[in-house]
Amino acid sequence: MSASARLALAGLLRAPARTIVRVVVLSCAVALLGSMLLFVSHSLRTMAGSAIRSVPLDWQGPVASYEQARRVATGVAAQQGIQQASPAATAPFAGAVHAGANESTSAGAGAILAVPADYLTHIDTFRFLQGTVRPGEVALDQQMAATLKTQIGESVSLTPRPGAPARTFKVSGIVLVTAPDVLFQPLNPLLGPAPAQPPANIAVMGINTFAGTLAPALPAITPASAGSSAVPGAQTAVQWQVQAQVDPRSLGHTPSQALTEAGRTVNRVQRSLPGQVQFVDNLSDALNTASADALYAQTLYIMLAVPGALIALALGYLAALGGVERDRRDLALLRARGATRRGLLALAAIESFIVGSLAGMVGAAIAFAAVSLIIGGGLGLTAARVTVTVVVCVALAIAGAAVARIYASASVLRESVSEGRRSVRRERRLLWQRLYLDVVALAVSGLIYWLTASTGFSAIVNPDSNPTLSLSIYMFFAPALLWLGATLLLVRLRGRALGWTLARAGAEQPKTLPGFLLASAARRGTAINRGLLVVGLLLAFGVSLGIFTATYDQQAGVDAQLTLGADVTASAPPGTIAAHGLTARISAVPGVSASTPVDHSYAYVGPDLQDTYGIDPATITKATTLRDSYFLGGGVSDVIGRLRTTPDGILVSKETISDYSLRTGDLLKLRVLDHAHGRFHVVPFHVVGVVQEFPSAPRDSFMVTNLSYLQAADHAGGPNVVFIKSSDPQATAVRVAAATSANGTIVKNIRQQAQQTVSSLTTVDLRGISKILEVFTIALAAAAMGLFVALAISERRHEFATMAALGASIRSISAFVWSEAAIVLAAALVLAAGLGLLLSLMLIAMLQHVFDPPPDQLAIPWEYLAALIGAALATATIATAIATRRLRALPLGAILREQ
Amino acid sequence: MSSTATTGELAVCRAVSVVHGRGDARVLALHDVDLRLAAGERVGLWGRSGSGKTTLLHVLGGLVTPTEGDVTWRGKRLSSLDAAARGRARAHGISYVFQGANLLPTFTAYENVAFAAYASDDGGSDDEPDELLELVGLAAKRDALPAELSGGEAQRVAIARALAQRPSLLLCDEPTGHLDGDTGERVLDLIDALQRRFAFALVLATHDPEVAARLPRVIGLQDGRIVSEDRFA
Repeated sequence: MSASARLALAGLLRAPARTIVRVVVLSCAVALLGSMLLFVSHSLRTMAGSAIRSVPLDWQGPVASYEQARRVATGVAAQQGIQQASPAATAPFAGAVHAGANESTSAGAGAILAVPADYLTHIDTFRFLQGTVRPGEVALDQQMAATLKTQIGESVSLTPRPGAPARTFKVSGIVLVTAPDVLFQPLNPLLGPAPAQPPANIAVMGINTFAGTLAPALPAITPASAGSSAVPGAQTAVQWQVQAQVDPRSLGHTPSQALTEAGRTVNRVQRSLPGQVQFVDNLSDALNTASADALYAQTLYIMLAVPGALIALALGYLAALGGVERDRRDLALLRARGATRRGLLALAAIESFIVGSLAGMVGAAIAFAAVSLIIGGGLGLTAARVTVTVVVCVALAIAGAAVARIYASASVLRESVSEGRRSVRRERRLLWQRLYLDVVALAVSGLIYWLTASTGFSAIVNPDSNPTLSLSIYMFFAPALLWLGATLLLVRLRGRALGWTLARAGAEQPKTLPGFLLASAARRGTAINRGLLVVGLLLAFGVSLGIFTATYDQQAGVDAQLTLGADVTASAPPGTIAAHGLTARISAVPGVSASTPVDHSYAYVGPDLQDTYGIDPATITKATTLRDSYFLGGGVSDVIGRLRTTPDGILVSKETISDYSLRTGDLLKLRVLDHAHGRFHVVPFHVVGVVQEFPSAPRDSFMVTNLSYLQAADHAGGPNVVFIKSSDPQATAVRVAAATSANGTIVKNIRQQAQQTVSSLTTVDLRGISKILEVFTIALAAAAMGLFVALAISERRHEFATMAALGASIRSISAFVWSEAAIVLAAALVLAAGLGLLLSLMLIAMLQHVFDPPPDQLAIPWEYLAALIGAALATATIATAIATRRLRALPLGAILREQ
Repeated sequence: MSSTATTGELAVCRAVSVVHGRGDARVLALHDVDLRLAAGERVGLWGRSGSGKTTLLHVLGGLVTPTEGDVTWRGKRLSSLDAAARGRARAHGISYVFQGANLLPTFTAYENVAFAAYASDDGGSDDEPDELLELVGLAAKRDALPAELSGGEAQRVAIARALAQRPSLLLCDEPTGHLDGDTGERVLDLIDALQRRFAFALVLATHDPEVAARLPRVIGLQDGRIVSEDRFA
C-alpha cells in the first residue's frame, strides 16, 4: 500500500463518526439517483413490453394469391428476428344456416378467417374455447355459434356470396376472436393500420380447406384493388395475406429502441423480398404511441427528479464540509512538511475513492431495496443491469466525494502555507455574482412563466410520426431557471437579509440569553444560510413535488371521473330505473354516500345530433364532482342554480353558442325523439349557460338540461344512468351490482375506468417515482437538519468550550444550537412555502394542456407535507438533544489548547 | 466594582496526576503535584512548553479532572463535582485569560464582557461591561468584533471579560504569548494593576523567566512535576 493510501485510510479511521456521516449522506444522495435510474429504466422496459404485448398481430402483408402467401410466408419466416410468419386469408360470407333437428337457424353476413394449423404458436388473435379446427371443418366464434344455436359436431352451411351455392362444414370448435378489429381491417400498406368495425359473425377454418372450398367462389383482392377495399366494412373479396410476428427479444428495452428496431426489421424483410410484399405494420404503430408516452414520461421524471438529486448531492457536500477546515489545516501542515502537490491530490483522490466506493455500494443497495418495495413483481434485474447500476452509483459517489474533498485540497494548493493554516480566508465575488446571473435567471424564469400563462403555450408531446416534444421546449426553462436563480440568490445573500432581521429583533446591548442568541445568530448569517440553502431547497423541492403529484393524481382521477361520470355508475335499459325505483334502492346500498339519476339521450340542434343529459340539479353536485372550469360565465353553483330555477333551461357548448349565434336567455328549439310516438318533435328550451365539460359527456358538443323537463318531452321512461358517490368505489360497485343486477344494470367504477382511460395523462404513472422521491425527500430533509446541527457543533466547539470555561450552563450553550436550528427550520419553511408553491404552479402551467380539464385549484397533500416538516422538526429536535449531551462531555481542556 | 478577595486557603491540589491518551499515545501531563493557593496570592508557573503549566491551570479551574489526586476549591472537592457543578464553581469565582484571548467570535467586545457577566449570574449593573472596557482602555472599541481587534486589544477585552465574573482566582495562560514585547508589557502591567485593585488571587503561567520574575511566588514545572518553588519578597 502506498504512503498516500495509508495516510488517507488513517485519516478516515481517525475520525470514524465524520467518515460514517459522509458515507451515509452521500449514499442517500446516490440512492436517490440510483432509484431514479432503476425506476426510469424499469418504466421504459415496462412501457416497451406492454406496447409489444398489446399488439396481437405485428404485421399483415396483403398478397394476391394463396400460392404467393405461402411462398412469401416461407421467405419471411426465414428472416432474422422473425418469430413466426404464416399465410392467412380473410373473406366475407353472405350468410350462414344451421339446420337443426326441429328448426333451421340462420345468421347474417360475416367473415371468415383462414389460417394454417400452427397459426396460434405465436400469434394471439383468437383462442379456442372448445374443440379445435380440423381439415374440412370449421370453428365458429362464440357469438355466431350462439346465434346459430349450434354445437360441436353439428353442421353449418356458409354462403360465400349472394347467389353462390352454400357449402356445408362440420363444426369442430368454438373460438373467441380477441382481435377482430385488427384481423379484418382493410390492408393498405400506404395508409397503415386502420382498425375496423368487427364483423358480427366469424368463422375460422384451415387455410387449405378455405382455398379448396369457399375461395374459388370469391374474387381475390389484388394490389390494384387494394384502394377500393380499404374502406372499413367494405370487404367483398378474399384478402390473401402473410401475417407475421416479430421476435420481441430482438426489439430492445425502450419504446424508442423497439420502434427503431421494428422499423429496421420491416424494411429489411421487405427489401429481402423485393416486390413481393409490403406490410401493414401494427407493431410500429403501437410503439410509436408508446415512444411518445415514454418521452413524455422521461421529461416529467427529469423535471421532477433532477432538482432533488442535485440538492441531495449538495447535502453530500454539506457533510464533507464538516471536516473541510480541519482538512485544510492538515493538508497545509503536510505541505509545510514537504508534501508535493501531486501527493496531496493523490491523498484527496484516494480518500474520495474510499468514501465514494463505500457510499456508492450502500446507495446502490438502498436504491435496489427502495425500488423493489415500490414496484411489485420484481425489477427484472439481470447481472448486466445490476452491474451498470452499481457502477453508476459508485462513480457518482466517488465524484460527489471528490468534489468536496478536492475543493479543500485545491484551495490549499493555490494558497501559501500560512494562508492555508489560517481558518479565516479572504473571499472575493465570483463571476456570476458580478454578472448578476441570479437576478437574470429569476427575471427570465418569470418572463417565460408569464408567456406560458398568458399565451397558453405548453409542452405537448406530438403523438404522430417520430416522438418529439413539439411546441415551446423553452418552457422547461421556467422552473429550471427559478431553481437556479433562487439558489444563486441565496448564495449571494449569504444570510445577510436573515442576519439583518435577527439583528433588528435583538437588543442593542444584550443582557439576557435571548438577546445573546439573536446577536450571535445575526452574525452567523453565512453558516445559517448554508443550512437554509440545503434544508430550504430540499423542503421547497418536497413541497413542489408533493403539490404537483397530488394535483396530477387529482386530475387523473378527474379525467377518469369525467369519462365515467361518477365514482360508480349504474346504467340500465330504458324505463328500468324509474319502474323499479333503482335510484332509491341504490341510495340504500352501504357505501353509497349520494346518488342522482341522469337521462342520456340525443336531440337535434338544427342538423346536428348532440348528446343530451337530463339531470336533477338538486342532487347532481352531491353525487358527482362538478368543477368551475366545466362552465363558462359562472361557477358550478351559479350555473346549476340557474338551471334549477329555469325549468326549460339548457346548457349548451361554446361551439353551439357561436355556430347558432346564441346568447344566455335565448330561446333554443330542439328536435327531441318522442318515444311514445317514435317521431321527432320540436321542444322549446332557454339557454341558461355554457358548458365545456360534463361527467360522461363526449369531448365535442353536448347539452345539459333538467331531467323532469326532458322526461316530459321525450317520454323515454325516465333516467337510464345513476351516478353514485362513494369513498370505496370498487366495493360499492360490487354491492350495487348485487342489489340491481336482476334488473339488467351494468355497474362500473372509477378504478376500472382509470385503468382503461387511454390518454397522455393517465398512461404515465407518476406514483412510483413520486413515492421514491417523497420518501427520499423526507429522509434527506431529516438528514439535512441533523447535519446542520452536527456541523454547528463541529464548527463551534472551541466557542462552546470557551463559554463553558466562562461558566455558562450547558442549557445556555445548547440554546445557541437549538435556536439556530429553529431559525433555519422556520426560514426554510417560509422559503419552501413560497418557492415550492411557485414551482408547482409553473409545472402545472407548463402542463396545462395535458390536464383535461385544467385543474381548478392545486391539490395540497397535507399528510405528506406534515410528514416532511415533521421529519425535519423531529430530526432537529433529536440532533439538538444529542448535541446537548455531547456538549456536556466536551473535552474542554483539549479543545481550549487548540489555537 | 468591589473587592472579591477573601483570606485563607483558596485552592489546593493534592498529589494530582493527569494522564492524556492511552497506550502508546499515553502522556503524563502532571505527576504528583501538590499546590496550595491562598486568597489574593500571586503565583507564577514557569516552565518550557509541555512542562504541564496549562494542564495545571485547567485542573485548578475544573476544566480537566485529575486522573489521580484531588483538587479543592474553597474547601469543596472540584474533582468530585459533575461538569455542571464545576461550571457553576467557575462562574462564581474562577476566571481565565487564555493565550489567544479566546474571545467569542460572534460577539462584540461589549457582548463578550456582558456574556461573561451573564454566565456568572452576579446581577451586575447594565453599565458594568462599559465600565470594565473603560478600565482596560477599550471603551472606544466596545462595538468591535474580535476579528477587528489587534492581539493586544483582544487580550485586554479578555481581561475585562474575566473581571466581569468578579473572580477570586484569575488563571492566566501565557497572556502575552501572542503579543510583541511592548504590548505584552502593557498587558502584564494592566493585570498587575487590576490584581492590586481587586485583590484576586492570580496564577500566571509563562515560559518567560522575566515575566515569571514579576511575581512573588514562582513554581517551576518540568515534565509535569514541580521542580522548584521560589518566593520573592
